[in-house]
Order: sequence, then structure tokens, then C-alpha cells
Amino acid sequence: MRHGKYPFIIGFLVVPLALYLVFVVGAYLQMFQLSLTDWSGFGGFNYVGFDNFVKLWDDPVVWTALRHNLFLLILLPLVTIALALFFAFLLNVGGKSTGGGTRGVWGSKVYRIIFFFPQLLALAIVGVIFGRVFGSDRSGMINGLFPESWTPWLFLADERWALTCILAVLIWQAVGFYVVLFSAGMGSIPEEIYEAAALDGATKITLFFRITLPLLWSTLQVAWVYLGIAAFDAFALVNIMSVNQGGPNNSTQVLSMQIYLNAFKFSQAGYASALGVVLFFLTLTFAALTLRVTRRDAVDA
Amino acid sequence: MAVVTATAPRRRKPNPAADGTMTVGRTRTGNLVANAAGVIFSIVMFFPVYWVLITSFKPQTEWSSFDPTFIPDAPTLDNFKSAFNAPLFKQSLVNGIVITAVAVLAALVVGFLAALAVARFRFYGRRAIILVVLAVQLVPFIALLIPIFLMLQKAELTGSSIVGVTLVYVVLLLPYTVWTLRGFIAGIPRELDEAAMIDGCTRGQVFWRIILPLTGPGLVATSVYGFIQAWNEFIIINTLNDPEHQNLMAWLMQNQTSRGTYWGPLMAGAIITSIPVVIFFLAVQRNIASGLTAGAVKG
Repeated sequence: MRHGKYPFIIGFLVVPLALYLVFVVGAYLQMFQLSLTDWSGFGGFNYVGFDNFVKLWDDPVVWTALRHNLFLLILLPLVTIALALFFAFLLNVGGKSTGGGTRGVWGSKVYRIIFFFPQLLALAIVGVIFGRVFGSDRSGMINGLFPESWTPWLFLADERWALTCILAVLIWQAVGFYVVLFSAGMGSIPEEIYEAAALDGATKITLFFRITLPLLWSTLQVAWVYLGIAAFDAFALVNIMSVNQGGPNNSTQVLSMQIYLNAFKFSQAGYASALGVVLFFLTLTFAALTLRVTRRDAVDA
Repeated sequence: MAVVTATAPRRRKPNPAADGTMTVGRTRTGNLVANAAGVIFSIVMFFPVYWVLITSFKPQTEWSSFDPTFIPDAPTLDNFKSAFNAPLFKQSLVNGIVITAVAVLAALVVGFLAALAVARFRFYGRRAIILVVLAVQLVPFIALLIPIFLMLQKAELTGSSIVGVTLVYVVLLLPYTVWTLRGFIAGIPRELDEAAMIDGCTRGQVFWRIILPLTGPGLVATSVYGFIQAWNEFIIINTLNDPEHQNLMAWLMQNQTSRGTYWGPLMAGAIITSIPVVIFFLAVQRNIASGLTAGAVKG
């Protein structure tokens, strides 16, 4: 029985590993190589040592972008998980407790579908929608709600608030997914535990903090990882929504946007690769830290 | 000891649920607040979607007006006709369908086999493979776009070829596919395999006759998620391919920038583009939740 093991393993893994070797490992090696060159994106190139890295260290735009990534990295998971937890709890446990049992509020199935809906919309479409929602004159959906004397909010055109607008959209799109994810996790918590706690006189709030939260911990960790990645990336939404790809005045600039601009707009593919290397190590550090925390659940099958 | 700890709180707070005289007023208000919060939040979540929906049915005079209307006065299908007949729309639709179908199917086959290997065998390097798959999922793909563009360009798979972009999508979908299916397979008791093998099944037959059918819901959930991912992607295809070889999302984005004020047809295009995803989602709505948990929670 044990003899037939390796042919299966090799047969099963050869295609995915080959794809990874070419498209991921190979691509990374090439990115590292290009980061040491002055390649413009066309024609030949020269090796320039670590010039690109010196340049990006002194580049104020890069630091601005990093600050924005950090802003998203902290707020996106926090707000999204808090909202999703609240609504998942509402849908699953928040209803009337008849006979000691727990139920979701009325209409929780409808809520679940509504919350998940934004997840289905492509970012291209989300960009179109929120372009209208955040319209900077009275034709915009939000500004249109106010009387004519109202000085319209500028939203995406306002340096102070542009990134917050993008954060709001990121949350809007993500929340539903996590409501469903947490709901599924809560559904697998045995009813008896809630019943026992309710018998002992626990309130809804106690139930949440003493039972739901601890038992959902591993799911929360997964959510944190996913949202962290989304915060590190954020490229697609910034690309569609922001004024001038990262503007106004770099107020929505993120690292991934800088990579894209340098590679495909400014003809500085070498420099863009160096930024890619930075993003790679930043994400890997984040990944390593998170994996350390989630190791027990994640790796042992 | 156990008896003491179990009964002590009950004495202090009389059992609320069992005696029926529980704090009714407080729960009623609590429920009211909860329901109100749910309704308000639902409106915030759903209103933009509703807005797109109604705009797509408004005639030009209405969608271009500065005074927003919340119910179209004179609903029309003109926007849909206009979007459908717009340059490159049909071509992008066909491209999108082909690329998505091939990528999802390939990722499913390759991913299922890889998940089997990872979930059912212990071998040297298994842990490393899981870590690599996970780590890759963690790195924003934009970092790899430059070298991948370069590679595919050398292989002449970009521009007017959709092969390159399909390959990239397969690579993109694989981590999630492997991860989720691994969870599903790990949830199938090994005793089933062993029982079948004692009854004379070969290892291959065990995979084909026992694990594959039992992974059914996982395969459905994974393929729907993969479909949504591939169908909704537009950055990569927009970077790799020429305008005649885009999918619908990239088409939509290009039209957004070039014809930015044509809200009506744009929204109609957005609706058409979203329909397949919504249909798939509603069809397998239940499985999606179980798919998520299998990938995420089961260790």
C-alpha cells in the first residue's frame, strides 16, 4: 500500500508546481534581477547595483504611499471585522431567545444575500457606482441629498478625505463576505453552549464576548490575513476611483499604484521592480507574522 | 466542585429563559435596535446596487439630469441595446466567457489533484508546499505583473493571444482552489479510504469513486468563487492584451474612462456583465458558505 505513494504525489503535483516555478518563482527571480537594472521597459538595460533602492529610499512619494498602505492595513481589517462580527452575530444569535434557543433576527436570510451582493460586483463596476455616489457637485448621490445652499463635499477630489472614501468603498465591498464567513463559523458553534450560558443568565453581550468570540478566533485570524492582503494591494480600486491614479496630489497613492505607474506609464521598469521587491518583503513579513500566529490551525492538516 | 460552579450563578440570577418572566422590555428594545440596525445597514449596502439598476433603465434625458430620480419615469431598454451594440462589446463578452471557463476548469482539475496530494499523503516537502501556496496568495499580484508581462511577451502569448492571460488566471485561482479543496478532503474520514481499499479498491479508485463525489459541494463552491475571480479580473488582461482581446470588465473600464459621462449605457453594460455572476451565486448560495468554512476553519 505504501509503495504506490510517490507516483501519485508526483503526478498530482507536477502541473501546479511547474506553473508556480514559471509564473511565480521564475517571475520573482526576474523581478529581483530587473530591480538591479536601469531597464525602461523596452530594449536593453545596464546593471546599476542598488541605485534603484537608494533612489526609492529618498523618494518622498514612496514614503507617502507606504503611510497610506499602513493606514489601510490598520483600519480596513479593524472596521470590516467589527462590522461583520456585529451583523453576523445579529443574524445568527441576535433574535428572540425562545425556550433558551438562539435564533437570528427576522429576515436574516435576506440580509445575508444583500450583504454578500457587493462581493459579486467587479471592482470595475464598483468604481463606476461610487464615482456617482461621491460626485463632487450636487449631481453626486450624497451631495444631492442636501439642500441647494449646501457647499458640496469634494470627496475624492479632497486631499484630506480621498483615501477615507476609498477605505469606505473597500469596507463596503468586503463586509458581506465576512458576514457570511463569520455566520458559517457561528453556525458551527453548538447550540447547547448558548443554551447553557443563557440558563446561567448570560446576556447577549456576554454570549458574544465569552462564547462567540473565543470560538471564532481562528476564523478571525483568517479574516485578518485576507484583509491585510487587500490593504497591501488596493491597487484596482485606487486605479479606478482616485483622481489621476493616486491623486489628488498623491493623497491616495499606494505602493502598488507606484509600481504600476513606474512600470507601465513612466517607463522605469527597473525602478518599478525595485518597488516590487520592497512590496514583496513587506508582505512576506506580514505573512510570516500572521502565519506564526495562525500556525496551529493553518498548517497541521 | 462542578456542581457548585454550575449552580452558583443560577442562584444569584434567577434563570431568565425558563421561567418566562424574563426581562421582556429589554429584549424587545434590543430586538428593535437590532432590526433597525440591520435594515439601515442593508439600505447602505444595497442602495448603490439599486442605483445602477434603475439608471440602466432610464432614458438619456433622465440619467443625464442633475436632479436624481429614484424611480425611472419612463423605463426603457435603450441603454442595453446601446451597450450591446457598442464597439467590441460582443467580442469582449465571448473572450471573457472562453477565458473564464478554461481557467476555472483547469484550476479545478489541477487544484483537486494537488489538494489530494497535500491532504491525503505525508511526504517530504509537503509543509513547504502548503507554505508556498499560502505565501503566494499573500503577495499582491501587481508585483509580479512586470516579469510576467515580459515572459509572456517573449513567448508571444500577449497582445492578440488569450492564452497568456488564461494561464495567469489559472495561477491566480490555484491557491484558493487547493486551499479550499484541501479543507474538504481533510474533512472526509480516512476510514472510508481504508475501508474501500480493504474491499479491493486501488488508490486511484478511492480518489475517483469516494473522494471526488464527496468533495462535490467543495468543487461547486470553488468553481463559483473561481468564476467570480476570473470573470471580474481586468487589470491583468488590460495590461497584457490589445483592445480587441479584452474581457467585459476591461471593456467596461475602458469605456468608463473614454465615455465617462454616458452613465446609462455604462450602467447597462455593468448589469449585463454582472448577470452571470449573480445567477451563479444565487444558484449555489448555500454551498458558498460551507465552502468558505471548509477552507478556513477546518484545520
